[in-house]
Amino acid sequence: MMKSTAKQLRTAANWPPEEGQIISLKSSTASETAILREVRWGLVWRDFILEDGRVIPEHRISGCPQPQAWRKISDVTDQEREECEERLLSMAGAGMDPRKRDQSFWAELNQYLAYTYLRFKPAPSKVPYQDQDKE
Amino acid sequence: MSRSDDEPDELQVWRVLSEAGLVEIRLDEFAERIRDVKRIVTGRLRDLLDFNNRVQERESAAYSLGTLKGLELKVMANAPKPDPPKI
Repeated sequence: MMKSTAKQLRTAANWPPEEGQIISLKSSTASETAILREVRWGLVWRDFILEDGRVIPEHRISGCPQPQAWRKISDVTDQEREECEERLLSMAGAGMDPRKRDQSFWAELNQYLAYTYLRFKPAPSKVPYQDQDKE
Repeated sequence: MSRSDDEPDELQVWRVLSEAGLVEIRLDEFAERIRDVKRIVTGRLRDLLDFNNRVQERESAAYSLGTLKGLELKVMANAPKPDPPKI
């Protein structure tokens, strides 16, 4: 138990891996290793961009600390959201298909849907609006 | 839906998104997931219409709904066509 906690702390301190490092991941077909080109925050979670252009969500990278880091919805700026919406519409308009797994449209649409869901879903444990707001 | 108040925020996010099928959307379920999220935004937009001081939030929800509708149409239009029935 202590050993596993110590290992987790070590992993978290070295996380995320640096660009150019070889990382292990679960791809859509199998476990494999690849060269990391870039780590980028999406609207909700981090994506790992590989040297060959594939986009892999953080939870599929071996050694990812648990629980995984998530972004707060309130941390996403209006500008960032609008830019994401423009990119998505542009990719869809260009005929790109989100059913191509691990590609940028698939990755970005996944995150946008997750973000939009978290942003607008009803919060049953809280009173969503105050009465004084209502006219 | 199970929920514990002691559950860390990160795990709650993971659980909520997993239950909604939104962590890694199955390739054949994109149109359905877009429709699910559209329903959530529409519900919120309907609530927001009752409030006069939430104009910006309302506009933003309406814009997101428009984006989702646009994406749904494109995704459906770009969907692979089923094989024609063999005669």
